[in-house]
Amino acid sequence: MSTAAVKNFPIVSGSSAADPRPAGEPGGTRKGRTPLSVVRTAPRKRRAPFVVLCFGMLAVALVAVLVLNISVSTSQYQLVELRAKQSSLTKTNQDLTQQVQNFQAPQNLAAKATELGMVPSAVKGQIDLSTLSVTGKAVPAVKGAAPGAVIPSPAVAGQLNVPPASTSAAADKAATSGAGNASPAAGPADAAQAAADKAAAAQKAAADKAAAAAAAHAPELHGGSVPAPQQKAPGQ
Amino acid sequence: MAETTGKTGNSKAPNATKRLRLGLGLMLTLLLVVGGKLFLVQGLDVGGMAEAALNSRMTSAVLPAERGSILDSRGTVLANSVIRYNIVVDQRVNTKTDSYKRYEPQADGHDKLVDVSRDQAITELAAALGMDTNAVRNAVTGDQPYFIVAKEVKPDVEDRISKLQVPGIVAEGVSKRVYPNGAVAGGVVGFLQDGTTGLAGIEQTQDDQLKGKDGKRVFEIGADGLRIPVGLDELTPPQNGKDVKLTLNSDLQYFAQQAIQSQTDKLSAEWGVIIVMDAKTGNLLALADTNAPDPNNPGLVAAKDRGTRSVTAAYEPGSVEKMITAASVIDEGLASPLDKFTIPPTYTVDGQTFSDAFTHGTEERTLAGIIGYSMNTGTVMAGQRLSKEQRYDWLKKFGIGEAPDIGLPATASGILSPPDQWDGRQQYTVLFGQGVSQSTLQTVRAYQTIANDGVMLQPRLIDSYISPDGTEEKVPAQPSRRVVSDNTAHQVKDILESAVTEGEIKDAGIDGYRVGAKTGTSESPCDDGKPGYCGYTASIVGMAPMDDPRFIVEVVLQRPKGSIYGITNGPVFRSVMSQTLRTYNVQPSTGEPVRLPQYAK
Repeated sequence: MSTAAVKNFPIVSGSSAADPRPAGEPGGTRKGRTPLSVVRTAPRKRRAPFVVLCFGMLAVALVAVLVLNISVSTSQYQLVELRAKQSSLTKTNQDLTQQVQNFQAPQNLAAKATELGMVPSAVKGQIDLSTLSVTGKAVPAVKGAAPGAVIPSPAVAGQLNVPPASTSAAADKAATSGAGNASPAAGPADAAQAAADKAAAAQKAAADKAAAAAAAHAPELHGGSVPAPQQKAPGQ
Repeated sequence: MAETTGKTGNSKAPNATKRLRLGLGLMLTLLLVVGGKLFLVQGLDVGGMAEAALNSRMTSAVLPAERGSILDSRGTVLANSVIRYNIVVDQRVNTKTDSYKRYEPQADGHDKLVDVSRDQAITELAAALGMDTNAVRNAVTGDQPYFIVAKEVKPDVEDRISKLQVPGIVAEGVSKRVYPNGAVAGGVVGFLQDGTTGLAGIEQTQDDQLKGKDGKRVFEIGADGLRIPVGLDELTPPQNGKDVKLTLNSDLQYFAQQAIQSQTDKLSAEWGVIIVMDAKTGNLLALADTNAPDPNNPGLVAAKDRGTRSVTAAYEPGSVEKMITAASVIDEGLASPLDKFTIPPTYTVDGQTFSDAFTHGTEERTLAGIIGYSMNTGTVMAGQRLSKEQRYDWLKKFGIGEAPDIGLPATASGILSPPDQWDGRQQYTVLFGQGVSQSTLQTVRAYQTIANDGVMLQPRLIDSYISPDGTEEKVPAQPSRRVVSDNTAHQVKDILESAVTEGEIKDAGIDGYRVGAKTGTSESPCDDGKPGYCGYTASIVGMAPMDDPRFIVEVVLQRPKGSIYGITNGPVFRSVMSQTLRTYNVQPSTGEPVRLPQYAK
């Protein structure tokens, strides 16, 4: 500080600063100077923790953003995986539902029943639960009546496992049913031959195609040399 | 700080300040440049780089809507869509890749990287597809970027093919329409053209409801093919089509189709039709046609068989129309079921002579007997009590010439010419169903009026629409109308029942139930524009149980071969009606069946 400046600042002498006596006390004896002692230095401003705090917060923020992004991206991969799983389950479900519907189709049911030797019943009766009366006369079903026309089974491609057709019997079966599907039964086909003649003419072209396609369908051996046993499907 | 001398202080301070100011100025200039460039790039995007980057990341994918299903009244699926795959190949990629590596699962659980040659890949692909190896090789070789190797492959096959990882082979998802019941209700359900638009039947008329609306997804995709999760993602969800629920009962439909096909084949007729209707609601339970198409493969039947003749084929109905004549004269108060008519062997009126299907002397008949024995002579005698306008009005009231609206294409309205255009003969022949034409559905609707105590309900085929979220909106019934009084309907029902108990149609009777029926044999006009008549149309229509009619069944056979007088559809009617009564658990009739005398005392 320059001497000029010194002049500006009043100097507070130690004596008056440390004077314990009240100011109004007149002509008090001058106290002695406070003995010199080491003045404890004022606590230095600790800047280091603040800087550390700043950097710490920065680091935390960066790490948080990083973790967030990583988790979102991981979730995205998981989402894709789950979606793929969902779609494959949907497809399996559709396939199984289709198989069930194929078995439930009325013409397939009727054909399967005929194959098992069942016949439609000719008589019916009723039991009235309120009066417990029975109407109608029970008569055993009689086999042998002409079954009549055969409605062809639905031509849904690839519904039943069709083994490669190489014999003429298989080609015959294909002639009385829709293309690409196993025939309901040989029994009703024979009996309804006259009735099915009309339909057979229209389906002959389809039958040739079906036989050719079936013949070209080589069995998948899955790396082995022996074909898998043929699954027995309705109508075979 | 020590005070410095004036001069040296003055020179040092400006230097420092000047340097500071210079440095500051430089920094500000650079900052300005950077800021300006930032503003240009970020704010104005002068080079269009942000947009270019967004364009290369952004992809839009169409989310196809699923086509609605067609169901029968009990929820059996008649038509639905399933996922299939087209196996397509980028021929350029495949041709130039002689060998590639792929992971194959080994026995110890780990995957091993294995070299696979192109030949082996082609052989494996051919085995998976069930195609010839050479055909597959031809398909994948070339320079086209897109070539279809196999169409509509099932998902499990597609899964196996994707594991092969053949270079250039991609599976494209497509939707395939499947008809699990095949030819049963085939003509009514219809089929698709190119797998997308309906071409016949319900698929055609309800195409808008079934199609739904495609959705769109706009998203950003990274170079690894994975969607960028924090990027743009706009989704317009697809609206799947609504399901259409019909009133048909598919088991009854099968039974009726099988019955009419057998009868048609047995009598070598051109075609046949059976309709089963619920008299109380107008719901159509079965619309059976011969040679019905299988929508999975409609090309197997002739083009003329791909429709539904039950609603589109109009023909001269013949004697079944006599019911309308009887109802008209009774409602007008001009006759009653037991009125006496003296009928000569042939009847001549206005220079027109009419005879019956059987020869007889002069007979004393009741109106019931005229209908019960289907006498043309008696019908003209009774019907001539109506004026020409009255005959026309009554036919119109019973729905002749008015097409029913059930949601099938080309529904016939029939032909009913105005009375001033009727010639001398036609004015009488319309009384017994010649000189007027109508479809089977119109006849059934007229009989339903009588079964429902004189109130006509319009036939219903589409029961409701089911939205993708499951809410069902029933199609409201069309307005009904009263055609004849309750009393008239009762008397006509008695006449129809007497036709079975006392009249000629005894083979239509069913054990345990009261049945009313009417046969019809009409001459059929030649089809190919030739004048005159060729062959006959044989039909029978009936209702049961007569104490409170629930169902109406009509069986029609067009041009059966052999003597028409030896042909009867009674057994077919009986079997279909029994099956219907049994399916719906109808209680057997109580009380005595009506037996109106056929001969007057």
